[in-house]
Amino acid sequence: MELTIALGIGVLFGSGVWLVLRPRSFQVLTGLLLMSYAVNLFIFVMGGLWVDKPPLTLAEDVDPAAYTDPLPQALVLTAIVIGFATTALYLVLMIGSRGVTGTDHVDGQEPDQ
Amino acid sequence: MSLAWTQHLVLVPVLLPLLCGSLLILLNESRHQLKFYINSASVLALLATALGLMWQIDANPEPGSMSVYLAANWSAPFGIALVADRLAALMLLLTAVMAACALLYSMLGWSRIGVHFHSLFQYLLMGLNGAFLTHDLFNLFVFFEVMLAASYGLVLHGYNLNRIRAGMQFIAINLVASLLFLIGVALLYAATGTLNMADLAGRAMDLAGPELNLLQLGAAVLAMAFLIKSAMWPLGFWLPTTYSAASPPVAVMFVLMTKVGVYAILRLWLLVFSSDAGEAAGFGFTALMWGGIATIVFGAAGMLASEVQGKLAGYGAIISSGTLLTAIGYGQSALIAPALFYLLSSTLAVAAFMLLIELIDRSRNPVQALLSVTMEAFGIEESPEQPVGKSIPAGFAFLGVAFALSGLIIAGLPPLSGFIAKFSLFHAVLNPGGNTELSLAGVVLIAVIVASGLAATLALMQFGARTFWASGSTTVRLRISEVIPIAALLSLCILMTTHASPLFAYIERVSDDLHQPGRYIERVLGQPVVPGVLGEEYP
Amino acid sequence: MLASLLFLPFLGSVIAACLPASAHRREAWLAGGIALVGLLMTGWLYLQVGADEVVRYQWQWLPAYGLDFTLRMDGLAWLFTALVQGIGLLVVLYARYYMSPEDPVPKFFSFLLAFMGSMLGVVLSGNLIQLVVFWELTSLTSFLLIGYWHHRIDARRGARMAFTVTAAGGLCLLVGVLLLGNIAGSYDLDAVLASADAVRAHDHYLAILVLVALGALTKSAQFPFHFWLPHAMAAPTPVSAYLHSATMVKAGVFLLMRLWPVLSGTPEWMWIIAGAGCITLLIGSFFAIFQDDIKGLLAYSTISHLGLITVLLGLGTPLGMVAAIFHTLNHAIFKASLFMAAGIIDHEAGTRDLKLLRGLYSALPFTATLAIVASASMAGVPLLNGFLSKEMFFAETVLFGGRGNWWLSIAALVMGIFAVVYSLRFIGVFVGKLPTDLPKQPHEPPHWMRFPVECLVFLCLLVGIAPSLSIGPLLHQAVTSVLGAQTPDYSLTIWHGFNLPFMMSLIALSGGILLYAVLRRYGDLANRGKVPLFHRINGAQLFDNTLQYLADLSEWLIRRLGTRRLQAQLLLIIVVMCGVVLTLIRLPSLPDSSALTSFNGLFALLWVIGGVCAISAAWLAKYHRLAALILVSGTGLVTCITFLWLSAPDLALTQLMVETVTTVLILLGLRWLPPRIKPSVPVRVPGVTVLRRSRDLIIAATAGTLLTVISYGVLMQPKVGSIADFFLLRSLSEGGGTNVVNVLLVDFRAFDTFGEITVLSIVALTVYALLRRFRPSPESIALPPQQTNSIDPAVKQSSALQADTGYLKIPAVYLRFLLPFMWMIAVYFFMRGHNLPGGGFVAGLIFTVAMIVQYMIGGTVWVESRLRLQPHKWIAWGLAVAALTGLGACLLGYPFLTSHTAHVTLPLLGEIHLPSAFMFDLGVFMVVVGTTMLILVALSHQSIRSHRVPGGGAPEPKAALSGGDR
Repeated sequence: MELTIALGIGVLFGSGVWLVLRPRSFQVLTGLLLMSYAVNLFIFVMGGLWVDKPPLTLAEDVDPAAYTDPLPQALVLTAIVIGFATTALYLVLMIGSRGVTGTDHVDGQEPDQ
Repeated sequence: MSLAWTQHLVLVPVLLPLLCGSLLILLNESRHQLKFYINSASVLALLATALGLMWQIDANPEPGSMSVYLAANWSAPFGIALVADRLAALMLLLTAVMAACALLYSMLGWSRIGVHFHSLFQYLLMGLNGAFLTHDLFNLFVFFEVMLAASYGLVLHGYNLNRIRAGMQFIAINLVASLLFLIGVALLYAATGTLNMADLAGRAMDLAGPELNLLQLGAAVLAMAFLIKSAMWPLGFWLPTTYSAASPPVAVMFVLMTKVGVYAILRLWLLVFSSDAGEAAGFGFTALMWGGIATIVFGAAGMLASEVQGKLAGYGAIISSGTLLTAIGYGQSALIAPALFYLLSSTLAVAAFMLLIELIDRSRNPVQALLSVTMEAFGIEESPEQPVGKSIPAGFAFLGVAFALSGLIIAGLPPLSGFIAKFSLFHAVLNPGGNTELSLAGVVLIAVIVASGLAATLALMQFGARTFWASGSTTVRLRISEVIPIAALLSLCILMTTHASPLFAYIERVSDDLHQPGRYIERVLGQPVVPGVLGEEYP
Repeated sequence: MLASLLFLPFLGSVIAACLPASAHRREAWLAGGIALVGLLMTGWLYLQVGADEVVRYQWQWLPAYGLDFTLRMDGLAWLFTALVQGIGLLVVLYARYYMSPEDPVPKFFSFLLAFMGSMLGVVLSGNLIQLVVFWELTSLTSFLLIGYWHHRIDARRGARMAFTVTAAGGLCLLVGVLLLGNIAGSYDLDAVLASADAVRAHDHYLAILVLVALGALTKSAQFPFHFWLPHAMAAPTPVSAYLHSATMVKAGVFLLMRLWPVLSGTPEWMWIIAGAGCITLLIGSFFAIFQDDIKGLLAYSTISHLGLITVLLGLGTPLGMVAAIFHTLNHAIFKASLFMAAGIIDHEAGTRDLKLLRGLYSALPFTATLAIVASASMAGVPLLNGFLSKEMFFAETVLFGGRGNWWLSIAALVMGIFAVVYSLRFIGVFVGKLPTDLPKQPHEPPHWMRFPVECLVFLCLLVGIAPSLSIGPLLHQAVTSVLGAQTPDYSLTIWHGFNLPFMMSLIALSGGILLYAVLRRYGDLANRGKVPLFHRINGAQLFDNTLQYLADLSEWLIRRLGTRRLQAQLLLIIVVMCGVVLTLIRLPSLPDSSALTSFNGLFALLWVIGGVCAISAAWLAKYHRLAALILVSGTGLVTCITFLWLSAPDLALTQLMVETVTTVLILLGLRWLPPRIKPSVPVRVPGVTVLRRSRDLIIAATAGTLLTVISYGVLMQPKVGSIADFFLLRSLSEGGGTNVVNVLLVDFRAFDTFGEITVLSIVALTVYALLRRFRPSPESIALPPQQTNSIDPAVKQSSALQADTGYLKIPAVYLRFLLPFMWMIAVYFFMRGHNLPGGGFVAGLIFTVAMIVQYMIGGTVWVESRLRLQPHKWIAWGLAVAALTGLGACLLGYPFLTSHTAHVTLPLLGEIHLPSAFMFDLGVFMVVVGTTMLILVALSHQSIRSHRVPGGGAPEPKAALSGGDR
């Protein structure tokens, strides 16, 4: 299971990097999306993998060992939201740039070659 | 017991801009004047707060005095602690001053070429102040994002081709940088199981084996995120383009943003990798130093090569952050105080230069400049009324003098603060605390900094001669609201020159605080919470 | 007194700058007055200095770094002060008549005074760093003075050259001085002078010597830095008379005199200083002969005389020092007068060309006489001051030569001969008959313009005839102040008997006259353009080439080391990251992993899907955007399921909603991207592209692998004790909620959430600001083909029509019916948030989705005509609510955001128990709704806006949904 998710993270991150290095803004956008998935998962697994131990402490005095680590979850939650915001921003910038520069190349101009 | 209002002072630099920004959202775009006044009121309040904090902290004679604010009343490391020590207070003050100047400069024209300028400006301040104050790594990330989001908005403020292009670069790079930031934080959490810097430092002292490795990995990746902000070679190519594209007041605030990266490095490294940090001690300083050297060289070359004056200022900023990184990386505690002095002086000077350049452009071809502003304003319904504000006499002379002064400071020539900064830096390199022999690194440092100063001198002289001597026109209409900020920034530098001694006394205290991580950690983690739970006693 | 003496000129400079350009007279009076007062003060100070006491003034500037503002006047300093101010006074008087009314005179005098001040600063400094400060100030002010006529290119060039060379020298000097101070333990001059032996013994001595020498030699135009001086002649003549006779160039030798006790007396010193001086004196005097411009001639002669002084200092003998000081004085006097005379000639005859000028004696006899006397002194004719010091020089060389090598004497003799020649050449302009083709008809200048020259020439005679009476005591003061105990006994008499030095003088005179005659007869001296033999040695050209080379080099560097392209920068970032990680990472010895690892087939399958989605998205993103988007959201779903699987229900929920909204957003955006059709016939990709792609592939693979390794490593390690347990334990008891994650968000780490919603708001504002200025590119305005075909009836209908009667009727009915229920669900999730998965954020997103659906089905117009949200207000109020909730705690004396419970009584529900976390979450909810709506609405409005542009005509934003595909 650990191996699976580790591999998964790697694959997501790798394909994200590949896309981020492409010249077209849409590719970069999707790349950023994939990379942020990978990073979110990465933060998440820093707390270890726990099945069926949701951090819902229904009783007053609980044994912490019986629950997953809630902190990374909170961090990921924040990270997801911020990622969402920045993605939206980049998207709008992308179409705005296409409107002004007339191209969807990330440099706002076609490479001269 | 409960908190006195003075203890809430730490909160103001974060909260006031937020509320003010929200208020500004509600106001209709057409009410420029009102918005401007609200904005400036808040900025002035921030200035007062910064001074108040500085006084409050420094009044306490005991070294390492700081005021710790436990948000949500959870003791560190569990809750998020805001820590205002001497350094943070200093940075807050710097921020407020720069903000005041940028804002005043933008009063006519610049603030009106797009919508929501004032709100974004306030949010930027919130982000900066938060980043200076917060003491929790993830919270630092959040405030970085606040700062960056606002800066994205501001760099695109007054939407034209250049700004869009620059924005694409700036934003994409910073998004990747943010991802690195997250990875770094996650690794540090995995290594130490905490996010609070003080706690982190405390736990780092006795790390070893795989955890230590994780710590180093995390710190390195995190440092990359910071170094991208502070434009270390080869991560800082975005800077000149962005600076020259952004509107001048925004560019001024950006000059500060590069310093945030440096600040974060300084904070974290002196805290976590200080000499008494066990196995982790002294990690990465050498890399920092040589990276800084490379940055200086790159910046100097850029200054010599750049034709566009906007780029000139940008490369100046690169040189300055390179110098700072080198000074920090040199790893001698004696260098920190001069470095901080240099930080103040160079930031102010480069900012003044940024503003100056725009005025110079206008003096070169007034018609075009005016046209460009109106062109930019064309996009939105309400176009800014033509320059009100009376033009001052001897404008050209003012430009000349201001250019000379800022040039002297940037190049570090006598007699102004730039020189004092470099002199004190060299002095510190030559006589560090213990009588250690002058190392190769020291020689390289001095040589490179001197050379970069010479390069800057040449470039600026070239530019100055072309602008003020070769050009025939000697008449230019300046507006008071654009002259005052520049004058203010420069006179601050002059003040720093004449009153160097007291300022240095303060900065020395700052550097003492930074070099006592143990004391610092105790102080932060020892901060008691306000007892009792609110509202529980209610039946 | 000293301080006022120093700051008076600066004050005057400021005042002068403020005076109106018309006020010629007042300017001159001001400047002159200041110089005069200064001179009087100096005279007064002689009472103390004359009594062998050192006048001091000290002000603590930066004591922590040993930088005090110290003024210190001993004999040497006094002499130079008097020189600076005396000549300054005369120059001001001269300039008063020289400057033409159309020049901006205020600027001139203000610069001149500033320069005078900085020069005084140099000579009076008692602290080496402070000396460097004023040193650079002199460079700066001289830059301004030389470039005074900045409309002329040669003035600009000369100024830039002078400044660059001298400022660079100054920087070297700074470093040298820092090292000196480091050895001496203080930058205070006295301390440094005290520790002379330590310095000479120290192993940094050579470095210090070279650096200081660089400073001094550049300043006083010694070989190989002599080239800037002739070019500085583009300055107005008063400036040349001041800077290049008495002050600026003398700063260099002054420095050498100051540090003479510390640095001199070693072979290195002699070879560097005396060597440079010797070459300079020969080159200077030789070049001087062949100049056609009077000022050029004087400039080169200045260079050679400075060389002479340098040699004297370089010898390192006390007597040499005496001669050096003496000659500095004399040279200042006669050279200033000569420059002024040259200026008069230029002023009267309108040219300075030696080829044209002759016979001026008839036109201006007085000036001519004066000039002839002065140049005689320059040539070293007896009974004039030049003779005395030059004879001292000869004597020194003879003494030196006495130790076996005569080269120096020879050099001295040659130089003497050349000096006579160029002096004669200068005198040549007065003899003969006046030519008629001069630009102007020369007359005698106004008397007061000539007066300064008269004074100086009088001094020449006075010193020349009665040295011991006139200059003797002053010189003695200066010498003793430098040499102290080792002051030699020297006699300032005219006649030392018929000895070797006198012989040399005679040879020099006669030889010079002879050579002059020969050159006139055969060498065609009168009108030869260039210097014989050495005319290829052109320092200025070299200098310019160097600068050019420097510029090219830096451009090359920028091109090599920098880039403007985004891809390259991102690549660098990733590569650096990989590099850093690879260098640092140490693979831990994995513990027996079977214990930890558990393999789950279903989970693995899930991730196979996820991975395939990701990779194929990466593959398709170029040509098939829609497909890529769907695949990416597939990955998102896998992530979401993973969260759910690994007991993070909140994350799963949030991820799901965010996924939805993001997808809609991007779909709305796709419409504006340019179509990119995959070429049906596969085109050959050039090799470089293949290379680039494979490089990127490798890098991507590396990055992915590294992240895999790290995360696996972390997972395999035993968890470190973290702060997490605290939250689990306190969540319910003190946080008052069972859903720890939510409690973290609204209580423990509420400050994060606080910042997070701010980010959302900022982004929304930015997007709004961007989109209201949005200009679609022409080709994306037209409708996509899918909507312009003739078959589909929906094309002709408006969106509302489609929804009401058209093919969207059924879904429309459903979705409108569903709206209230979705709102209810939102409220439900909001309420349970604190205890079960949910919370303000999720609720907000659900609410928004409900709205979006309406927009999609009914179209923007339809929705907004019925129910209009005002996102701006939602954002602002949301932030306000969150902030004020937090502030509530402050009122009660608790820190910001401390969770507390308020009790409100509502009319119907009665008293309800309202935890602050609830209010805070409400703020979050509002912000989320506001931002998401703002972004979406702003985006969807674009398609309507674009139709206002002629050529458009797509009915509604739904067009965007089908737009991006292919």
